[in-house]
Amino acid sequence: MDNSKNDSRRDPPSRGFAREVAGRFFSRKLACLATLVVIFLTLVAIFAPVIVGTKPVVCRYKGGIYYPSLGYLDREWEHPIFRIDKFRNNYAKNLPKKDPDSWAFWPMVYQDPIRRVRADEKEGVPDSETLQPPSIHHLFGTDPAGVDVFAKMVHGTRTALLVGFVSMGIAALLGIVLGAVAGYAGGWIDHFINRVIEVVLCVPTLILILALIAIVPKPTIWHMMAVIGLTRWTDIARLTRGEFLRLRQSDFVQAAVALGISRAAIIFRHILPNALAPVLVPITFGMAGAVQIEAGLSFLGFGTPPPHPSWGEILDDGRANLTCWWLVTFPGLAIFATVLAYNIIGEALQEATDPRLRDARR
Amino acid sequence: MGVAAPVLKIDDLRTVFGKPPHQVIAVDSVSLSLAAGETLGIVGESGSGKSVTALSILRLLPAGSSRIESGQISFLGRDLVRLPARELRRVRGKEISMIFQEPGTSLNPVFTVADQMAEAIRLGPGGSRKEIRDKSEQLLHEVGIRDPLRVLASYPHQISGGQKQRVMIAMALSSDPKILIADEPTTALDVTVQAQILDLLRELRDRRGMSIIFISHDLGVISQIADHVLVMYRGKIVENAPVLDLFRSPKHPYTKGLLACRPRLAQNARKLTTIADFMELAPDGITLLERTLSPSDRKKLESEGRPPLLHPGSLMIDPTLTGTEVSAATKPILEVNHLCVHFPIRKGVFRRQVGQVKAVDGISFKVYPGQTLGLVGESGCGKTTTGRAILRLVPTTAGEILFEGRNFLNVRGSTLRQLRRRIQVVFQDPYSSLNPRLTVEAALIGPMRSHGIGSSAKDRRDRAATLMEEVGLSTEHLRRYPHEFSGGQRQRICIARSLAVEPDFLICDESVSALDVSVQAQILNLFKELQSRRGLTYIFISHDLAVVKFMADMMAVMNGGKLVEMGPAESVYRHPQQDYTKRLIAAIPDDSLEMIESRLARRRPL
Repeated sequence: MDNSKNDSRRDPPSRGFAREVAGRFFSRKLACLATLVVIFLTLVAIFAPVIVGTKPVVCRYKGGIYYPSLGYLDREWEHPIFRIDKFRNNYAKNLPKKDPDSWAFWPMVYQDPIRRVRADEKEGVPDSETLQPPSIHHLFGTDPAGVDVFAKMVHGTRTALLVGFVSMGIAALLGIVLGAVAGYAGGWIDHFINRVIEVVLCVPTLILILALIAIVPKPTIWHMMAVIGLTRWTDIARLTRGEFLRLRQSDFVQAAVALGISRAAIIFRHILPNALAPVLVPITFGMAGAVQIEAGLSFLGFGTPPPHPSWGEILDDGRANLTCWWLVTFPGLAIFATVLAYNIIGEALQEATDPRLRDARR
Repeated sequence: MGVAAPVLKIDDLRTVFGKPPHQVIAVDSVSLSLAAGETLGIVGESGSGKSVTALSILRLLPAGSSRIESGQISFLGRDLVRLPARELRRVRGKEISMIFQEPGTSLNPVFTVADQMAEAIRLGPGGSRKEIRDKSEQLLHEVGIRDPLRVLASYPHQISGGQKQRVMIAMALSSDPKILIADEPTTALDVTVQAQILDLLRELRDRRGMSIIFISHDLGVISQIADHVLVMYRGKIVENAPVLDLFRSPKHPYTKGLLACRPRLAQNARKLTTIADFMELAPDGITLLERTLSPSDRKKLESEGRPPLLHPGSLMIDPTLTGTEVSAATKPILEVNHLCVHFPIRKGVFRRQVGQVKAVDGISFKVYPGQTLGLVGESGCGKTTTGRAILRLVPTTAGEILFEGRNFLNVRGSTLRQLRRRIQVVFQDPYSSLNPRLTVEAALIGPMRSHGIGSSAKDRRDRAATLMEEVGLSTEHLRRYPHEFSGGQRQRICIARSLAVEPDFLICDESVSALDVSVQAQILNLFKELQSRRGLTYIFISHDLAVVKFMADMMAVMNGGKLVEMGPAESVYRHPQQDYTKRLIAAIPDDSLEMIESRLARRRPL
């Protein structure tokens, strides 16, 4: 029965769709855990230079305050004064030597993700030997070049996450725009975009990346992300197109047309927000896929070029030194956890946004 | 009738959904008994627990979310509530069969009818391949299918909705069940097909002597078939009476309201009574308080509102009609001339057009300002497409639509947007016609802003608040999202949204078909009120002739894309000229007392 007056008293305070979905999403323990894992990895990626490194987080040198650890994120961000003064990345030794008044705040763990640490660098840090099992000085052991695996892992997080976010960012942008245009416009535009999708689907991502590495003189991690992004948008485009086709015929959009609302408002206010929720799902799955592609490529030795440490690269070392379990276990677990977390988030999003699955669970 | 021992007896059944803090009691201490050969009608609105009661009998409810908390369902000495699953399976489909509302989805689309019938028969009586084949053919023959061989070889999409429901009934009968549970078996069907299925069920029941539990929201349908009627309201049985007693002298206020709030073909009310006229909920939210309609209230229902407004010249043709004519000088607000909407049928790789579906095929009519034109017809007759063509939501093939003398089909761009403001629509499904991502406030204010209605943001908000009160909702509802409202409330919001742009013309496309009868009465009254207050012109599209007759001044009957008959609503009903119209009117369930009495007299004694 329609007793509106009674309902007003009973109704809980209003929640929008986004908050409703978030509420359902976070009511699942596994989804919360997966989100925490991704947040943790993001924090590790951002604060990697503070966690482990051989460059001071903050230091005072010749009257100025510098942040040399930013050099781990980008070489250019390291102040040129240290290059001019020939520090050769050995801050622990050179800082007090070249400026006795200097002070420095060091990362939590004194180890380097790129080079091995020598005995005379810093007090209490022994010479890094090659292929050391995990110990108090090397939490996850060392690799064949004597570089600390823990440091490589921490700094490799950045690569793993960037690959996921940037490549799927490109893919999402392309896929949503093209899918929306195809679905709303219909006709020959739809036809054309569909053919483009089919052509792109025929190109294997891995081969394209390998070809790119052969052609580009100095391939960087950004090239790889671009290639993954440019080949992985097709699923998203198809899904968006389908949603647009469906929603364009729905009563509320028809009502909006009849109300004389402008086309832009119909697309952006009425259709897009409703189409977006299901599209989030392939994006999260795509992120997991991108992490795997990057790790796989690095494992095969075609991966991220040297200054960027990556998990796959450590695995590659493990392949050559099968007895050194730590080279396989730690990066393997990290890749596993990341991919699993993304997939769980994707699945939980799917159930939270799709009313049919939601009802089936109840 | 109470002589025979009951086949089925339910004692104090209680079925609940959910876990204690959010527990919903769907069926609350329901007791009933069903004699052999008896037909028990269960009537109630959505959420009354009528379907849950039926599903509880065979324990077909979702196991995780619901459970039978207490009670007993004894069927021939066995308690179905406590029967082990293996034994229950032997009862399901063999001794108690069930048919559902949606014949379209109850059949598996990848198997032929023969395959599906064979499966049902194998589970039941069984037999050799040949015997099963013969039995299927004979069963289809029994349910009135004239060419059983063709139907047996067909896939479900190749046969009509009525035939599908007949196949479902044939499958349910395959093992000679003692009880047939029919859960809204005719609701999804056209009214002429509904009449045939009801005939069939009556005939089968008499021939086989089986008991039927017939569930429906429609008292009219129940009156056609039931011997005994249970009225359910909020999970409880509020009235339990033989069918004639129930229709002659309903006891419970809810039954009274339910009987009174349906528009009837034979009556000439100008407003409908609603359930609220008969009862109200006490402040504690549980007790029902009865109210009575005073004779003056009753009189008011008949006289309030304007008399029918007819096309010029109508009274000359039929002087017995009540109502006033539009003056001859008035120009029609909408004129449709030879409107055609054809959809191409494309086939093959190159999508070549191989034919066309003539959804609307050359129809013409006029609507005068302030009038209501009713468009009635069965599914697929083109009534909805006509409405959408007038709104320019589907491209037209030929013809013209003149709105205030100006061809609406030629305008485009901003002129079209401006004109669209004046013709609005209220759709059937209140659940899909509101954007789930917008608050009610945003849904009302968006269109206003886009047409420059209201001087400032505050003014528009005030207008939105006024609109909400006009459609019977409160201003606090503005901040809410659509999913928090009931179906009737949502339909009120849809109406408010279309009124936000101050239209002159409203197309109601099956606007009350998805609503419960009590809500339907309220919304129909609201439409009438709005018409007299705002001087709106309506095209009222519905499959329900009684609803159209209640609403409309002029009525047009459509069939196969063409206008079959058009005239004042009263005279189309009283003196239908065309065969199709006559058939349509004859198929509407007649629940007059004489009709029920004559039907019961013809019924074989139990």
